[in-house]
Amino acid sequence: MHFKRISVTAVRAFVRVGPLILIAALWQLVCGTGLVNREFLPAPVSVAIAFADLFSGGDIAKNLLVTLYRAAAGLALGTICGVWIGLMMARSEKFRAYVTPIVGGTYSLPKSALIPLFALWFGIGNVTAIAAVFLACLLPMIVNTYHGVVATPKVLVWSAETLGTAKHELLAHVFLRNALPDIFTGLRIALGFSFVLAISAEMIASTNGIGKLIFMFGENGTYDYMFAAIACVVVVAFLADRAMLAVTRYSLRWHESAVSRLDERRA
Amino acid sequence: MSQNIKSLHVNWRSAASIFVLLLIWELAARAHLTPPLFLPPFSSVADQLWHSLADGTLATDLALSLGRAFAGLILATLLGVFIGLLMARNRFAEWLIDPLVALGFPSPKIAFIPIFVLWFGIASLSKILLVAFACIFPIVIGSYSAARSISHVFLWSAMSLGSDRKSLFLHIILPACYPRIFTTFRVAVPVSLITTFTAEMVAGGGGMGATLIYSQRFFESPTVFAYILVMLGVGLLLDLTMVQFQKHFLRWAEI
Repeated sequence: MHFKRISVTAVRAFVRVGPLILIAALWQLVCGTGLVNREFLPAPVSVAIAFADLFSGGDIAKNLLVTLYRAAAGLALGTICGVWIGLMMARSEKFRAYVTPIVGGTYSLPKSALIPLFALWFGIGNVTAIAAVFLACLLPMIVNTYHGVVATPKVLVWSAETLGTAKHELLAHVFLRNALPDIFTGLRIALGFSFVLAISAEMIASTNGIGKLIFMFGENGTYDYMFAAIACVVVVAFLADRAMLAVTRYSLRWHESAVSRLDERRA
Repeated sequence: MSQNIKSLHVNWRSAASIFVLLLIWELAARAHLTPPLFLPPFSSVADQLWHSLADGTLATDLALSLGRAFAGLILATLLGVFIGLLMARNRFAEWLIDPLVALGFPSPKIAFIPIFVLWFGIASLSKILLVAFACIFPIVIGSYSAARSISHVFLWSAMSLGSDRKSLFLHIILPACYPRIFTTFRVAVPVSLITTFTAEMVAGGGGMGATLIYSQRFFESPTVFAYILVMLGVGLLLDLTMVQFQKHFLRWAEI
């Protein structure tokens, strides 16, 4: 019984990745026939060999860790500050009045435009990348937290108050709890931004990190290595996104509609 | 009436907040709290903005960047809506494309810029295609889920009234998807701007991003600030335009 279920899952997984295998096979075939210049499109096999080489040499791990550190640090800072600002905006009308034009103005600014400015201020390296990631993650966290907190039903607040919840406990136990699905929505957007900004910052102003690595391989003309590094980024971003979904699902398991919405939205 | 006073009050605070911010900026720069290289006074940024406007460099850069962004966006919308609707109506297409979308959607598209430069050069084509590549995933997902969530009652009614496949598609499925497609289009617009600017910063080839990065390398800080302000204004303006568009043309939809 158990074994059967596993084999069904395995078959399903195989059917799902089938197109990817098909495309890789076609790609290899096209490269084999010599229809395209192998300089421009390295075959999957040589990309795989390059990947193995990068992996065993430690280049991938070293630069990937640098990038992940920058993305994670910016994401964490942006989340903490964003949730706090969003909560404040929702609870205090005065604070909202002062902050709204700044949030509204920076919301539509392409955050990567600030990378040259940060490079000017903080030099080349970690701080520039983390600052860019931080700002990019801050805005979706503010906006989503704000909407979640504002939408808290009055009934919940009243019930908590009649049951003797103190004012400072209301924030964490009622308002933030009610905003949790929205906060996770923001977090998923911010996670995507964190990768984009970390890699952009590395391509523009850095001496290490996976973005710089990709860029260097491109400049040197070692395209099989470049493809391998890009494939690595795609896989890592995909896994991070799936991990975020799993965490969201686990944290919101008490929230029926949020979880069912999540399943519906899954691409 | 009291509502009016209240909103006036809020507006007063908002305006004050922007004004104070600019004032602090100007005073901090004039007092030389930081080197002018790091923070030129707002007045000199405004001055530079005026110069760039007058000699036409800003207009050229802006036109080039916006042209790239819109070309990529339109390409992504046409292709993305087509693919999304096809996936919703055809199981083979769904099987074939779904894993690609699942893998491509969360990936940072800017990492692909060296490939696009390698294949399509550093001029406009590589940027347009990268923008299309970056924007197509949310549009495919949006139009796919929009087409999947059409009420069967609509389809059945149309069919029982004698619609053939073509008019079913043109008059029922596509219009029913408009609001959701527009929502994803709104998501894609800032993506197209970000991708264009970043691609120009990384790969050069003219445009807002390229000028921004050159100014930074030559330490022309007022130009850096002026261009960032313009990018901010463009983003804001586009978003406002889309809100207005939605209000006028998609009033019938409850989004």
